[in-house]
Amino acid sequence: MLQKKVCLLGGFGVGKTSLVRRYVQSIFSDAYLTTVGVKIEKRMVSVGAAEVALILWDIAGEDGVTGIRTSYLRGAAGYLLVVDVTRGETLEVAKSIQALVTSEIGSVPFLFLFNKTDLKEDWDLPEQSLEDLKDAGHEVLRTSAKTGEGVEEAFQALAKRMVS
Amino acid sequence: MLDIPDRISEWLLFLVKSQRSIAHLLINNELVLIKAGGELEYYGLADLKLQHSASDQLPFLEGLLPLAETPFLLESVGMPGGSVADVHLFADEDMTWVVLLDVTVEHDHARKIQQKAYDMTLLSQREARLIAKLDAAHKELTLTHRDLAESRDELLRIHNRLQQELHDAERYVLALLPAPVAEPFAVEWLFVPSTELGGDSFGYHWIDGEHFALYLLDVCGHGVGSALLSITVTNTLRSGALQNTDFRIPEAVLGSLNQAFQMESQDGLYFTIWYGVYHRPTGRLRYASAGHPPPILVSGAREQRGKAKSLPAVGCPVGFLPVATYERKECTLAGPARLFVFSDGAYEIIRPDGTILEFEAFEEVLTRAVPEGASELEELLQFAQDVHGSQDLDDDFSIVKMTI
Repeated sequence: MLQKKVCLLGGFGVGKTSLVRRYVQSIFSDAYLTTVGVKIEKRMVSVGAAEVALILWDIAGEDGVTGIRTSYLRGAAGYLLVVDVTRGETLEVAKSIQALVTSEIGSVPFLFLFNKTDLKEDWDLPEQSLEDLKDAGHEVLRTSAKTGEGVEEAFQALAKRMVS
Repeated sequence: MLDIPDRISEWLLFLVKSQRSIAHLLINNELVLIKAGGELEYYGLADLKLQHSASDQLPFLEGLLPLAETPFLLESVGMPGGSVADVHLFADEDMTWVVLLDVTVEHDHARKIQQKAYDMTLLSQREARLIAKLDAAHKELTLTHRDLAESRDELLRIHNRLQQELHDAERYVLALLPAPVAEPFAVEWLFVPSTELGGDSFGYHWIDGEHFALYLLDVCGHGVGSALLSITVTNTLRSGALQNTDFRIPEAVLGSLNQAFQMESQDGLYFTIWYGVYHRPTGRLRYASAGHPPPILVSGAREQRGKAKSLPAVGCPVGFLPVATYERKECTLAGPARLFVFSDGAYEIIRPDGTILEFEAFEEVLTRAVPEGASELEELLQFAQDVHGSQDLDDDFSIVKMTI
């Protein structure tokens, strides 16, 4: 069976754990529980005729003090960079993580996820920032772990890119 | 390795083993699980099957083997059983040893501290965003307030300019009014415009050597429009500018005015007017009214209480109906007598309690004896202001007195 390691990366509190819980267990909670270290989940996904086991590494968020433990990245076939649209500064965090990951494990498939899109009133990012990423050749999806918007599509899109 | 006795090394190993719930796994170069031991159950790994794929049973190994460096450490990895382990990997020839050391207590402790720190950080970030929003709103309000202040100043400038223009217009209206006359009979007047420019006006002049015209009109409403029409009508009468009209015949004069000043052509304005012609040789007064309050003739010497007589005449206001006709009335003025011609603003005085002065009460005041040296018209104004309870009357106060 095909297995792919996927890392969820981003600043702290951007919703990485919530995205994994939504994707694996179809549940969501508004309560924020921080992640220390890494939690690993698994979900099967079909990519064409292939059945792929996604090994999801929900890694503690970057907080500007401890940094990402690069040992967690070893063996990753792809990753998701999560941005909290209600906190503009998390976009820059995601960009810096992307540079770090590339230097550590080279170029592997990844997507930017603009998460918490359900909080429309609190949107703190210019719409142009999303377009700028697309213009730079990155794939960007809007997601909400709360409503489920874009979550399946995000993991499916990454799986497809990792397998192809 | 350590320069300490074996028994102490053994003690340290015992200590780690007792506190860290050690479990171990051995995986060959084909990624098959060869050996498993220690406290596997504590980590939820009791069901591991030897001689089966290691990465299928242990997802955290995906992508790690063969090891690129040894030893290799994965810190704080959540295990299926709920505990948290530091995962140590060691390459041993063509095998890989995996050793799990429990760090659940340290993990939970670190998570509590981190939770508080992140909560505080998120709170302060939210506070900073709110403050930024408040600052932006405050700046917006400040700009709006400044714009409003500028608008208010501009409005004030316009208001002051308009007030000045109104005062100029008022002075012009007053300058058009005729001067009092003393011979061969006295005519005097008092005109107090209300706070706005009013629609009252009046005039008197000799038509010929025998006929003396006296008139007072009141254009509906207040303001510049009313005042302009009032001045136009007064100038028309004073200059005799009505074609084919004998100004000695009051009903003809009002009829001509009605033809010339229909409200459709006067921006909806109409007016009331009393027009009288005094024939001095006979003392006859002919007059007509277009919806105007009837003048009052007070007979008797001014030092004594007089007798009042109202001089009504039927006719609708000028401008209402093109086909309107006006009634001519006449009487004889026998001296000593005073004829008072006025607008409704002279007697329709609103008291502070909202009631209106009765016409009979106004008429009664006109019949009172006038003390020597007193100005009868000034006393009338004072009376009106006393009734109103204020110096500022709501309407123009216009009254003309002709003394025979």
